[in-house]
Amino acid sequence: MAEPYTIGAVVAVTVVTAVVGLRGMRVARTPADFMVAARQVPPLLNASAISGEYLSAASFLGIAGLALLEGLGALWYAVGYAAGYLVLLAAVAAPLRRFGAYTIPDFAEGRLGSPRLRRWATVMVLVICGFYLLPQLNGAGITLQLAVGGPYWIGVVVLGVVVSVGIASGGMKGITVVQAFLYWLKLTVIAVPALVLLLVLRHPPVAGIEGPAPLHFLRATLVRFPDAETISVRHAVTVLARGVVGGLRRSGPLLLHPGRSTVGAGSALRFPAGSAAPAVQPGSVVGDRAWASPLVQFGGRADHPLAATYGVLVATVFGAMGLPHILVRFYTNSDGRSARRTTALVLLLVSVFYAFPAVYAVLGRMEAPGLYVSGQADSVVLALPKMVAGGLGGDVLGALVAAGAFAAFLSTSSGLLIAMAGALSHDILGRGVRAFRLSALGIGAAVTAGGLAVAAVPINVLVGWAFAIAASSFCPLLLLGIWWPRLTRVGAKWGLALGGGASSAAVVADLAGAAQRGWPALLLGEPAIWTVPLAFGAMVVGSLATPQAVPANVTDLLVTLHLPERLQLRHGQPPGAQRLETLSAPPGPRTPAGTRPRRTRSAWEALRPDGTGGSPRRRARRAGSAPVSPPGGRSRLPGRRSG
Amino acid sequence: MSEGGGDRPARQVVRAPERPSAARGPAPGTGDVLRQDEYGRVLLGSLMRAQLGVTASILGPAVVLLALYPLLAVLVPGLARDEVLGVPLTLVVLGGGIYPPLVLLGFWYVRRAEHVEQRFSELLQDR
Repeated sequence: MAEPYTIGAVVAVTVVTAVVGLRGMRVARTPADFMVAARQVPPLLNASAISGEYLSAASFLGIAGLALLEGLGALWYAVGYAAGYLVLLAAVAAPLRRFGAYTIPDFAEGRLGSPRLRRWATVMVLVICGFYLLPQLNGAGITLQLAVGGPYWIGVVVLGVVVSVGIASGGMKGITVVQAFLYWLKLTVIAVPALVLLLVLRHPPVAGIEGPAPLHFLRATLVRFPDAETISVRHAVTVLARGVVGGLRRSGPLLLHPGRSTVGAGSALRFPAGSAAPAVQPGSVVGDRAWASPLVQFGGRADHPLAATYGVLVATVFGAMGLPHILVRFYTNSDGRSARRTTALVLLLVSVFYAFPAVYAVLGRMEAPGLYVSGQADSVVLALPKMVAGGLGGDVLGALVAAGAFAAFLSTSSGLLIAMAGALSHDILGRGVRAFRLSALGIGAAVTAGGLAVAAVPINVLVGWAFAIAASSFCPLLLLGIWWPRLTRVGAKWGLALGGGASSAAVVADLAGAAQRGWPALLLGEPAIWTVPLAFGAMVVGSLATPQAVPANVTDLLVTLHLPERLQLRHGQPPGAQRLETLSAPPGPRTPAGTRPRRTRSAWEALRPDGTGGSPRRRARRAGSAPVSPPGGRSRLPGRRSG
Repeated sequence: MSEGGGDRPARQVVRAPERPSAARGPAPGTGDVLRQDEYGRVLLGSLMRAQLGVTASILGPAVVLLALYPLLAVLVPGLARDEVLGVPLTLVVLGGGIYPPLVLLGFWYVRRAEHVEQRFSELLQDR
């Protein structure tokens, strides 16, 4: 049963985003355009853009869905996603902006002087973005499944094709304004239906959330079963069935007898108002008081809930700083100071957004038992407006939410795919537009296949894993690189290998179902709780063991990281600019050992395209008024990407 | 991060222009002091320690804020069943109540970090 409003809204969002993205490409083609963007993006606009790119399927659908399924404790994910920006703000934002490296591989190479470390970091970028991309496709599958009523794979393939072809053909690279607009769109389309629903229901039944989940459908409810299930009802009930029930194809009224019945994949049953909700075997619904518990019940299990909660917090709080597609956005800030202000505003904006998933979770539990009965909890945000409001209003609200959700998938997955294709083609395959396009198509195909395979995993759990891997690899690299002078490339490699490797392995093992209960299940499902300390420990021990590998210019690097820009002007150049030029220099000046020329005066002067003349003051004026053209290398401009 | 179409343009560094306000600050190049000698390293160390101090004084309370509620819920099982104006405490805390303190800590950090930088640039100037 297709729903025209929803399909129309989703198509409209896709087309508008693609058109605006293409227009953005055409408008912002010259470096001068990016100059404008870089210096004139005020913190609020920039913060909106970062929030727009950050709020993905996990925030839009996943949190409410997981809370509906596993209880209020799942809201800790949202708290962690927001609190991560406090850590990013207080420990990373300003120094990283001052350093002038656009990506974490840039930072790794610039701070520790090791091209090989750069490639290791690139591999981690691919792993983290890959895990982050899967749930976006998963979300698209769920959204279109609900809108078109077809199978799950349609949405996955549509999003995968649209995004990979769009990026490979050079379009779909949203600009700052598009991302900022998408934040406010997402906030509006999640807030308005929530407020309308609260009004429609008059007295929200929050006081009852500790009681058992309602066992009756409050109104006639269509329950879709995307996968084959065994359901059981306690009393005979007549449903309108469509699909395979009890091994026979049905279309029309059907009497379900007490006891078990099998329902085929893709079937739908309409239960009459007041009828009892069926139980699904095996039961995965968290019951009664456990649902209202403030602790994470990983996979719906209540074992070691405190450790599970802390595991989620460690992963999300420390993982936020390691998301490659977000960090690159910080370079549209004009300096470290505005990077700080921007980050504080991001914290505010995402916090406002995260007030709403809880509303959907609570209302969903009270009003829409069919969703968690049929394992479709992740669609609660999409389905609830229609179920509760009904009529044309419900259709319009539902279409609004679906459009916002699709916008979220589109923007986040474009940003992620650009980050991955850029990293793969630049650092591994060899530079060139052709390599970038092939990378985009190849990765797009791979993650689309992956998205089809993870249909049954809650979105938020997948995103939690991406955060856990980021927290176990890039978080220690950034924190120690910025604040600890004795970090060495050897230590950094140990940390990336052990932390990133262990967390990725744990996630893969958990996906494969290696452990079902108790501590093993917890440690595999919430790996951050042990892999983050492991990564920090490995970096510290490895660095202390190799003091000779501390970069010779470490004081210089730390000054660049920590001194406010206006104190930094040196030889007429802000050091960030120097740094980037050194990094982006063509391979020529590199020494055979693979080390970059030191950022000494002579190496720097040698790279200057406009000679070395002039007093520092005169050069300072020149730097302030004209862009510096390095001799060559790849453009890596902040406004350029940002899907 | 990368580009997908057209020829790769020569790399250009994107930079904000100097702000007029910078003219009122220390002369350009003041920061070179930090690169020169042992004294510079001591100054740099003091700046980093001051900034880390601010960071710790913000993240400390944040960690307590985040870690405390789950711990209390385990130690005092009745707590999670308390209600505020008819709404369960857990929903009040996780559904919105925990965010305002985090946001306030964030804006407080911005103020204090800028203050540290201001003091440090005055220190360099007075030297």
